[in-house]
Amino acid sequence: MSRDRREWKTRDREREGSGTVPGMSRRTFISGALAAGAAAIGHGLIPGISIIDLAYGAESFSFAWISDTHLYPKTLNTRFVEKAERAINDVKNMKPAPDFLIFGGDLAQLGDPKELQLGAELLDQISIKKHFIPGEHDWYLDMGETWGKMFGKPPWTFDHKGIRFIGLDTVSRGPDYWTAKKMTPAERMGHMATLDGSVAGPWAGLGPEQLQWMAATLSNWPKDKPVIVFSHNPLYEYYPPWNFWVRDWRQVHEILRPYQHVTNIHGHTHQVLYNEIGSMRSIGMLATSWTWPYPPEGVPVLTIPMVRVDPGDQFDGVGWGKINVPSSGKVAYEYMMWRKDVYAQSQVDSGTGDNDNQVLSPRVADRP
Amino acid sequence: MNSQRFRTLIILAVAVVFVMSLPVVTQQAQAHKAKHSPEQLKAFEDLFMEQVRIGDLLFHGDAATEKKMGTNLSKTGMACAMCHPFASDTHPYEFPKFQEQINKFSTLRDMINWCIEKPNEGEKLDPDSDAMKALEAYIYWSNRGSKLAPGTH
Ligand SMILES: [Fe+2]
Ligand SMILES: [Fe+2]
Repeated sequence: MSRDRREWKTRDREREGSGTVPGMSRRTFISGALAAGAAAIGHGLIPGISIIDLAYGAESFSFAWISDTHLYPKTLNTRFVEKAERAINDVKNMKPAPDFLIFGGDLAQLGDPKELQLGAELLDQISIKKHFIPGEHDWYLDMGETWGKMFGKPPWTFDHKGIRFIGLDTVSRGPDYWTAKKMTPAERMGHMATLDGSVAGPWAGLGPEQLQWMAATLSNWPKDKPVIVFSHNPLYEYYPPWNFWVRDWRQVHEILRPYQHVTNIHGHTHQVLYNEIGSMRSIGMLATSWTWPYPPEGVPVLTIPMVRVDPGDQFDGVGWGKINVPSSGKVAYEYMMWRKDVYAQSQVDSGTGDNDNQVLSPRVADRP
Repeated sequence: MNSQRFRTLIILAVAVVFVMSLPVVTQQAQAHKAKHSPEQLKAFEDLFMEQVRIGDLLFHGDAATEKKMGTNLSKTGMACAMCHPFASDTHPYEFPKFQEQINKFSTLRDMINWCIEKPNEGEKLDPDSDAMKALEAYIYWSNRGSKLAPGTH
């Protein structure tokens, strides 16, 4: 028996023994089982819009999220521009207007000041208040210089209608992979912009000072009042090879644990995604640019997978997000995807269900 | 024997003599006559992994490799790996199968060309080209732990 065949057997046994839905790893099952309310929600496939008990606000309001536009300069191509424009128009036409927009990072594709400028111009059409957090694609050409000048640098915080909002920087503190190898800024950016590359390593994280800042910022906030944390990366360990995590998530949870109504809203994963860890709920938002597939393991059991989308339609599977915060009770959260069905109704049509048989290996070409 | 059949036989005989005289063909005819040496097996594997490496670079939109291979796989700024990190969701083990968007019974190579032409708006590859074989090598290698499931969707 060849080595590879033995590997298959082991993998099969692991999958069969995990006791979870197909494609879910043991690790995910355990963290899912520990999550509060996991049993009540389950992981069945249900249609329609997801209504999530997000938090309790003092006054009803809504806000909008756009992220992961990944703009190239218009001279290169306009495909991603058209999709960003469509989301921006949708937000502009929201009635009543949302209280503010949060831009969740990856405005540019390769951190080019031209791309960031184009993004700023497009977003200028939205006149409501805008808040920005960066993505890795915005940062690693000039280490955040242009981003900082144009949009300011997180972390930041503000209180709005009874909710404390926090915006994090989960991208700027990557390990230095470029100095020793004498990379040009463009080479550094290229590695960062390759999701399944290994050169940039575990770049997603808050870092010690920002963790300290977050603890201090929350210290005067009552434990029973709602907190909403915006981050580019998810604040838990989902799939580290693609930096679908922050590496210091344990410390993040330690700080947030005493607060009873914490919601993390994040970008970067470009897919329908939901998880709960302790009292923190985590919602993954859509990209306007393109959809990432679900990784081969680690998909939270609480995630109702999105429908398998049409790769021939550039507007399919992408979009933006709307969050309605009523004065009390359930808060409604909506994926504004440009199609009728957002959630898969059967395994065969879901973004995870067709991967039961899939076992993947990391790349070779970027290994030393 | 009629003249038609006689002519065919003559042509065949000439063809056989001609083919036998080609040294490269003679060499191929000797495959598996001797036991494989470890060096030989290593050479086969190296050759394969080199194709995987080239395919990996093409799949990730590497400009230098595209130039070397003479391909133009995308005009939209999309690379294969942007929808398929780690070659996920390529499902090479499901082919051949009926493929909806192509509306015919298709191979993995058909699907690769569909992705190049439609989402990427690039120039499709000759199905037997070196670039196509390299892409195929990378996709199969990345999914080598999966079980064959031809025809499934
Ligand atoms: Fe992104
Ligand atoms: Fe990102």
